[in-house]
Formats: sequence, C-alpha cells, structure tokens
Amino acid sequence: MGKIWIPGVMPIELLLILTAVFFAFVIGGWVLKKQGRSIPKFWQALLIWVAAYIVLRYVLFPPIPSALIKTYMGLITLVVFLLVSSDEESWTEFKRPIMDTLGGATPTHRGVRTVTMVALPALMAWGTWSTVVPKFEEPIELRTVHPAPPASVKLNTGKTFTLQTAQNPFRVDESGNYSQNIQQEHVNDNPFDPNASKYMQYVREGGAIFFQNCHFCHGDNLNGRGMFAFAFNPIPADFSDPGTIAQLQETFVFWRVAKGGLGLPREGFPWASVMPPWEQHLTADEMWKAILFEYWHTGFYPRTWD
Amino acid sequence: MKGIAKGGKKRAAVLVGLGVAGLIGVGMLSSGWIAGAQAQEKAAEAPKTLALPGKAAAEDLEAGKSVYFRKCVWCHGPEGAGDGPGADRLLPRPRNFNQGTFKVRHTASGELPTLDDLFDTVTHGLPGSAMPSWEGILTDKQRRQVVEFVRTELIKDRDFTDQETETLTPISFGKQVPTSKESIERGKEVFMNKGKCVECHGPEARGDGNATQKDEWGFPIRPADLHKCWNFRGNRRDPYNPANIFREVSTGLNGTPMPSFADALTDEQRWDVANFVISLCPKKQIDTQTTKPLNDFVIRAKFVEGDISGNPDDPQWQEREANYIGLGGQITHKPRNFVRQVDDVWVRALYNGNEVAYLLEWDDRNKSVGTPESMAKAVSYEETPPAGQPIALRENPEFHDAAAIQFPMKWESLNAPEKPRFIFGDAKNGADLWKWEVDGKVGAFTGTGWDQELVAHGKGEVTTPFAEHKDGQWRVIFKRPLATEDKEKDVQFVTGKYIPTLLMVWDGHNGDAGRKMSISSWYHTILEPPIPTKAYIYPVFAAVFMIGLQFWVVSKVKNGKKKK
Repeated sequence: MGKIWIPGVMPIELLLILTAVFFAFVIGGWVLKKQGRSIPKFWQALLIWVAAYIVLRYVLFPPIPSALIKTYMGLITLVVFLLVSSDEESWTEFKRPIMDTLGGATPTHRGVRTVTMVALPALMAWGTWSTVVPKFEEPIELRTVHPAPPASVKLNTGKTFTLQTAQNPFRVDESGNYSQNIQQEHVNDNPFDPNASKYMQYVREGGAIFFQNCHFCHGDNLNGRGMFAFAFNPIPADFSDPGTIAQLQETFVFWRVAKGGLGLPREGFPWASVMPPWEQHLTADEMWKAILFEYWHTGFYPRTWD
Repeated sequence: MKGIAKGGKKRAAVLVGLGVAGLIGVGMLSSGWIAGAQAQEKAAEAPKTLALPGKAAAEDLEAGKSVYFRKCVWCHGPEGAGDGPGADRLLPRPRNFNQGTFKVRHTASGELPTLDDLFDTVTHGLPGSAMPSWEGILTDKQRRQVVEFVRTELIKDRDFTDQETETLTPISFGKQVPTSKESIERGKEVFMNKGKCVECHGPEARGDGNATQKDEWGFPIRPADLHKCWNFRGNRRDPYNPANIFREVSTGLNGTPMPSFADALTDEQRWDVANFVISLCPKKQIDTQTTKPLNDFVIRAKFVEGDISGNPDDPQWQEREANYIGLGGQITHKPRNFVRQVDDVWVRALYNGNEVAYLLEWDDRNKSVGTPESMAKAVSYEETPPAGQPIALRENPEFHDAAAIQFPMKWESLNAPEKPRFIFGDAKNGADLWKWEVDGKVGAFTGTGWDQELVAHGKGEVTTPFAEHKDGQWRVIFKRPLATEDKEKDVQFVTGKYIPTLLMVWDGHNGDAGRKMSISSWYHTILEPPIPTKAYIYPVFAAVFMIGLQFWVVSKVKNGKKKK
C-alpha cells in the first residue's frame, strides 16, 4: 500500500477517510445492535485502535514520522480508555475478557494466557535488542541550495559581470535591444523555424549547448533527472521546479553556471557538487544562451531586481 | 455469555479483515494492478493481425509537431534522423525515425511497431539511454499526438497506413511459465545451447560474447549486459517482469543483430529464457524516477576473525551483502566522459584486527591493456567535440583498465561535513587514492586538486591480492593495514566512524585515462564494531522482568477471585 493518495490534497482526503471510518463504526455498530449481536466492548476498543493504526501507518500519504504515529497512538489509547471506562457497566464489560484470560476461566482462556505469557516477554526482549544493538545509517548532511551570491563574477578570460547590473545579452528583440517581454511573445514558437526571430535563434543555439553539455545531469526535460543523476549527490537542480531558476535572477544563474561547484561557498558543499565551472568549457555568450534556453523551455521568467 | 464472547471475537476478526482487504483493494485499483492484469488478458486473446491505423488527424499532427520541436528535436533532429545537436555525445545514439525501424514492439520481426508500442516508449522512456520517461511531463494526449506526428511526418521510408506493404502481427504470449528453479535451469540450457544467446551475450550473460557489432546504421552496438535489468531499454520501468524479456526474445530488436526467436523456440522455451534472464538481475529497490537501483550510502565493513581471504569466492566474502554504488561519467573537467561504459560497482568490505579489505566488482566487456605508446598519450587525451565523429567503441584498447578508492587525508580533523573535493581532492584537503591498474601496478597516491598530478606516497601498504577479469566482469580486492606510519597522507581506519569513501573506474576500451573515468559521489565506509555484550544481556533482563510481572498479575487476579 502506501502511495494511495495524491500528495498535496491530503488534508481533505484525511477528513474524508476519518469521516468514512467514523460512519463505518457507527453504522456497523448500529446494525449489529439491531440484530442483537453487538460487539463486546473489549473488541470494539481493539478494533478502533487497530483501525487508527492502519490509517496512520498505511493510508496517510506522504507518510508521517514514526514518532508522530507513536504520539497519536498514545492519544488514541487514552481516548479509548476514557470511552470504555466512562461508566461502571461498560468498564466491567471491557475488562471481563481480560480478567477471564488472566484468571484462566476456560481451557480456551488458559490457552490464550499461555501464548500471551510467552509472546509478551519475547516481544520485550526483541524490542530491547533492536534499541540496544548499534545501527549505522547514513550521516545526515544539510546543504544550502541557493547560497548568497558574490557581487560580481570574473571569468577566466578576465571579463567581469556585475550581478546587480548585468543583463542576458541575448534576451533581445529584433533590433537587438534588451527586452523583458520578448520571451512572453515566443512561448509557443518553434526554435527550428527557418524564419525564427533573433530571440528564437538564440534559444535554439542555447538548446544545442544544453543538449551537448547539461542534459547528462539536468535531464532532457530540465527536471534534474538526467542519465547520470542517479550517481550524483547532491542531485542535479530541477529547473522545472518553481523553487530553482524561477525564483532566481538571471545573473545569479550565470554565476552558478560560470563557477559551478568549485565556486560554491562552504555551506553549498563545493567538495560534493559535480557541477562544472562552465567557464572551462563554454564562452560567456554560450553560457548566456544556455540560460536563455532554460527559461524559454521551462516557461519560467527570471526574477528581476525590482 | 461465553458463546457470545466467542462469536464476538470471530466477528471482530472478520471486520478487521474486511477493512484491511478494502484498503488493499483501493490501493490496487489506484496503482493500476487490476488494470495491468486486464491488459495482460487482452494480450493473450489478441487476433492474428492487427488493423493498420488510419491517417492521423490534422489537429493532432499540429499539436504533436509543437511538442516535438520543444522536447524531442534536440536529440532526434528536425527531420527525425537521430541527428539533433545532442546526438554525437550519446551512446546509444538517438533513434533515427526515417526508416521506421524500432526495437521495442509487440509485432513480428521487421514489422512496424503498433502506435501503442510507440506511446509506451514515450511514456516509459528507454532506461539505460538518454531517453527519459515523459509520463507526468507530457499528458497522455500530448504523448499520443507526438507519436502521431513522428509516425506521419518523420517515418519517411514506410507508411503505417499502407495496406499493400505493411502488416502488424502481434506476438502471442502463449501461456506464461511461472518462474521456478526448474524453469530457470531450462532457460539457462536454452541460453547456452539451442538459443545460441551465449554467442553474443557471453557465458555469464554480461554482454561480452561479441562486443564489437554494428547496428543497421553502422553505429557500434553492444549486446545487453543481462545482469542489469534496470538498463533494459524495453523494461517499461518494470525491470523484474519476465514478460518484457519474453516480448523482446519473440519480436527481436529491429535494426540490431538481435533476431526474433519466435520460430526457433517454443513459447515455453522463451518463457524459460525470460525467467532465466530475470534471475540474473540482483534484486534491488528501484528508484522510480531514475529507474536505477537506489545507492547504498554506507559501505559496511564487517569484522572477521583471523585472516581476510584473498579469494572473492570465499564464504567470508560471499556472505557479505554487496553494496550498490552508481557511477556517472566524469563530466566536470576536461576531458569529459560523456559515454561512460561502467555505470555501477558492487562493493563489499571486511576488516580484522590489522587490515581492511574492499572487494570491488564491476562489469566490463573487455579486459583492456594499453601499449606503452598509447599510455604515453593518456595525459593529453581529448574529449569528443560537440559536432565530431560519432563515438566509436574501439576494437583495441587505448588505455589500461583501472580502479581507485578515494578517502580524505586526515578525515579525523575535518570539520564535518567538509571533505576533499570529489575529484582528486583540493589544495586545502588532500585525498588519499588507492589506485590499481590492469598491469598489476597498485599504490597510494596523493591528490591535491583536479588539475594536479597524482603523487605516489606510502610504502606499498596498499595491495591487491586478487584482480581478475573473467566473462565480462572485473573483481579486484584492495587490502591495507588499518593504521600506517604516515598519519598525514594515509587514511587511518577507526572502528565505528564514518569515513568518506569514493570510487572511480576506468575502462581502457572506452579511452578512459586520467580524469576521463566513471566516478561516484562521496559515500561512507564504516567498520562495524562487534555487537556490545550489553546488547545480549539487556533483552534477557527485559524478558525476565516481563515474565515476573505476568506471574504477579495472574496471581493477583486469582487471589482476588478466591476472596470473592
């Protein structure tokens, strides 16, 4: 089981599940009562408890942490106890099967008692073992995904770009002037159209650069799932996610592309990132074109300074 | 009273059972199991030939074209000739659609695929190649439309609608033979003899039988390594399902040397072969997004009494679980390795009071030994230019096969999570590399940066008591004392600590040398400390306490009853 529910809409589904479970209990209880065969209190309590566990452990998606499940189950245990001990009669009914078993009222009860008395210590021993025995999980290492950028980027060619003022030289209209709206006008254009506009020709050149250099990690759909992605940690950035290039300035992306993993500050784990410093492989123009393509292809717009 | 209590128990059990069954039912429905089963039934009663599809609708062509020129054109090219800007750095190369030759089909050898086959390829991608799964990225409708565009506009030599020349004969799945020890045995027999699979795929089925073949377009092609079902192009993201193998063995792979065995082998024999092939693939949890096994982030070295065996077949090694570590091409610095041939390595580790040992196993179709002349070039090796000649798999090795394990120098004094840079360390944090080469040379090297020469250090403490290439697989054991004299440069092993570890493999036939290699991320080695005595004592105490408590409670209840 597990992935039954679509992530993102869980709260509503959770409510629906809880309502369904509640009504199932009420209606089931009512029907059985009508027939004069109501479930004894002890089994009712156990049923509620087990149903709650199934919902928490297997139905909820995404799964909740085990510590939270324990807390909830503790609460549910408390509520169930309050419920069955609400009056003397119900309490007596609830504990009757327990007392019968403990006292060994019938051969069946005595059998159940023997099994329980062997199983419980075994369970205790196993539980203690699994807490005491050392486990070796992967150490947790938290990394800053978008570290603070420098004021400017100096390429190995000597050329310097100031992040506050630099613009993508290929985000231009037909007359070659920088245009913030040009991408919007070409959202659905074909970059291979022989009559493509200047902007779309640059997009096409950027796409060629992307598919000769970047897709191995960032993927054919720019979603960070390229053919080498499974081998690298940190995993490559997913440009189709609104949390990456969509919320960054184009010059920030240029800094990341030009300097790669080597240029990351300590909190960005420069030792682990396999992102190349692209200044070693591409010219500044080629990097700008690749960035132009990334925005066009994902349909996101770079964040602006104002 | 007793009767009711008993009946109640039964009813409760039934109710709980029903609830669980209901939940499972919902799960199956939404995860498509039931739908899958229905599809299989349908396939079983398929007709003798399928009707050819009609002409594509104009609006579908228009919409499909728009998808194609945004998503597909970069590899498959504007004319669908498999020559897009990305093509020359890929192996396998992108499909050339023009001839209508497709590998993954349900139709007879040489026939066109069905439109559903093409749709499935777009949906699931072709694992082991650059073609990703487009499910969740393109809608069902968009995937249908792009298939319509490709089959109408880009398949130029054949016509899906031509009744004169085209037929679509679906393969029959017959009656599936469930997997069993006997079926696998029979499958192996067919593989080795009647099916002649061994001739190309090799005696251990690692794709090393005939590794220098060409496809219909003259590009190099290698028989599949059947130990990596997650890389099978036609696995439809369901790598352990023998039906995929049955289908490929029955249809053959058009355009490749892989023939159809529909006539040569019976249904049962093909199912047996399928079961055999699946049995070769190690069972690992598959990451649904990358269709690769999940990496094992911690290499657990187990303590052994006495000497560590230098023979990988020794039970000492075989009883250890092998850790899976994926490798990517080194594409950070020049020369970049765009078509790395080694994509994973299996690692086991052992230690005793004095030594630590790693067993590295990886698949490599040929043993590569470079010549002195070729090895002299290994320093200045050029990478493939973006629009260069398509990558050719060499018939002769260029360089040595090699492997290395990299550790940080003085990891104890690193401020976690800081490490040396993944490729040969950096100026601040040096790396200690144990590198072995096919000529038997092995030693420790100091790495101080990706652009620095590796410098040998140590006094020969690193050894490789075993290094053998057999039937398409390398197995190498690295060994070293836990502690050495040179505490500055040699990694020092301490029990119970996470020691950063990284793996590199070079394939000489692929032109790997120096920085051109397959490389992993940083993982961790841990020498598992022996289980402490308290772990054995505490559970006994807990059990005894519980037993005492139980007897006390029972006696209490009994006494209470007597009083009444």
